Amino acid sequence: MSTFIALFTISLNAILAENFILVKFLGICPFMGVSRKTGTAFGMGLAVIFVMGLASAATWAVNEFLLVRLGLEYMQTVVFILVIAALVQFVEMFLQKALPALYQALGIYLPLITTNCAVLGVALLNIQNNYNFIESVVYGVTGGIGFTLAIVLFSSVRERLEDCDCPKAFKGFPLALIAAGLLALSFMGFSGFKVFG
Amino acid sequence: MNFKKQLKEGLLTNNPVLSQLLGMCSTMAITTTLFNGLGMGLSVTIILICSNVVISALRRLIPDKIRIAAYIVVIAGFVTMVDLLLKAYVPTLSDSLGVFIPLIVVNCIILGRAEAFASKNGVLASAVDGLTQGVGYTAALVVMCIIREFLGSGTFGKGVLGADGVRILPEQFPALLVILPVGGFLTLGCLIALTQWVNRRLAEKEREKEAVK
Amino acid sequence: MKDYKYILRLTLTLLLITAVVAGLLGLVNYLTEDRIDALTREKTEKAMQEVLPAARYEQLETDKDGVTAAYRADDKGYVVLVNVNGFGGAIDMAVGVGADGRVCGVSIISHAETASLGANCVREDFRAQYIGADGALAVRKDGGTIDALTGATVTSRAVTRGVNLALEFVKEVGG
Repeated sequence: MSTFIALFTISLNAILAENFILVKFLGICPFMGVSRKTGTAFGMGLAVIFVMGLASAATWAVNEFLLVRLGLEYMQTVVFILVIAALVQFVEMFLQKALPALYQALGIYLPLITTNCAVLGVALLNIQNNYNFIESVVYGVTGGIGFTLAIVLFSSVRERLEDCDCPKAFKGFPLALIAAGLLALSFMGFSGFKVFG
Repeated sequence: MNFKKQLKEGLLTNNPVLSQLLGMCSTMAITTTLFNGLGMGLSVTIILICSNVVISALRRLIPDKIRIAAYIVVIAGFVTMVDLLLKAYVPTLSDSLGVFIPLIVVNCIILGRAEAFASKNGVLASAVDGLTQGVGYTAALVVMCIIREFLGSGTFGKGVLGADGVRILPEQFPALLVILPVGGFLTLGCLIALTQWVNRRLAEKEREKEAVK
Repeated sequence: MKDYKYILRLTLTLLLITAVVAGLLGLVNYLTEDRIDALTREKTEKAMQEVLPAARYEQLETDKDGVTAAYRADDKGYVVLVNVNGFGGAIDMAVGVGADGRVCGVSIISHAETASLGANCVREDFRAQYIGADGALAVRKDGGTIDALTGATVTSRAVTRGVNLALEFVKEVGG
């Protein structure tokens, strides 16, 4: 039971109170880059959930069984980014062969994910927080869900921003950033949130 | 090469943060004190120069297919080196930047410049590009820091001029909100708007000059 | 045949680059390792002296989650080193627990909290709140007695959790 509560707390925190984009500032580039349309934002979100979960599992295993055993912890950053790059490449090839329909939907976002700091971020945070294997995977997947939630919410706001009236200098990115700021403000409400006393 | 022109591009017209909109994660996350901003800016500048030089030197040797992977390995190597050196010699900075130092690896500025500039230009030009883009990034960070620190904590130069900096606003006035994530988005939004405005003014002036001729 | 050669070339180039980078990193690590270790040790010792000054610290065995090390400080009590998750990553702290089972000092060894917010957890007036406590603590928002840092509930909760862990540990070893 207590492990269940621990996992639930991790999930809830990763999705809401410590949302990767709006609170931790990880993964801002794709957040701003592919949030013009709700459909594409959702596709990107799904791809990120998938890769973050897999990357958490893979980097945890590599760290535990390879780096720590060999005393090579200082190589973490290099090894993790390589693992992530290889993973993304592999997922791309696998989807292309096995699930062409899904590949059609996610294909163009997959290469972008290598340089998504949320993915490397989750791998590094898992190690820093001393999470075990299950906690790491849960943190990865729910972090991805938080990412999806934020990007989908934001894209629907942005679709309306496109044709609004505002000072010329604020057109485009600046206005989007300010809207994102307001979204971040509303997510702050979750930080006082507690389910299990 | 035209150093002055590259510098102007790096600082204003083609500023990595304010015009190219790259590397926004770190820009918003760590700009709460001047010390953080300067430290992050310098680290990124050094890494950017090194990776630009190495990638430009190797550009003919690396097959096209694996270039991104090769770039990432080179960049990750430099980032880890800086990370270790900071831990050993500037522990306060490495403590306060935390996970954002290793995350420089995926800072799009570095990979972006490697792909857009260093892979096509000579070693010297790439070094200059690294320097000017790095200075532009640092400048953007420092401006963000000064604004957010002033409005959010009411001080200037925290960590640089003494541990608590110089107090400008009395303690009860600052709006804590500006230091919270929200403030990052709002400040950056306004700064980008300002840059767009300035850039448009500059472009208009150029055009007027042309017209007079 | 040509394909095979090309793939071999790709692999070798990448392998070579990785090997060179790994070698250089090994060198830098070798050069900085001792210094980083010494710095960490120095910081930890300073924190231990701060929370419960003693001439000799005798290390105790620990397998409790979150407790990284524990020491018996002469016969004055215990110093427990704990590691909790804050907002920006792990917070390492030292908690001194006197022979009477009450907290006699809290010191933050390292943290990566936001400047002006969570980073304020190193402030004396915040840490002083824990001194004298002997039971399960909680921040005011959760119905306890600890005043959270403005705008940094996550950090305040983390520090509180750390102090609780240390107290639990001392109770378990029969302090």
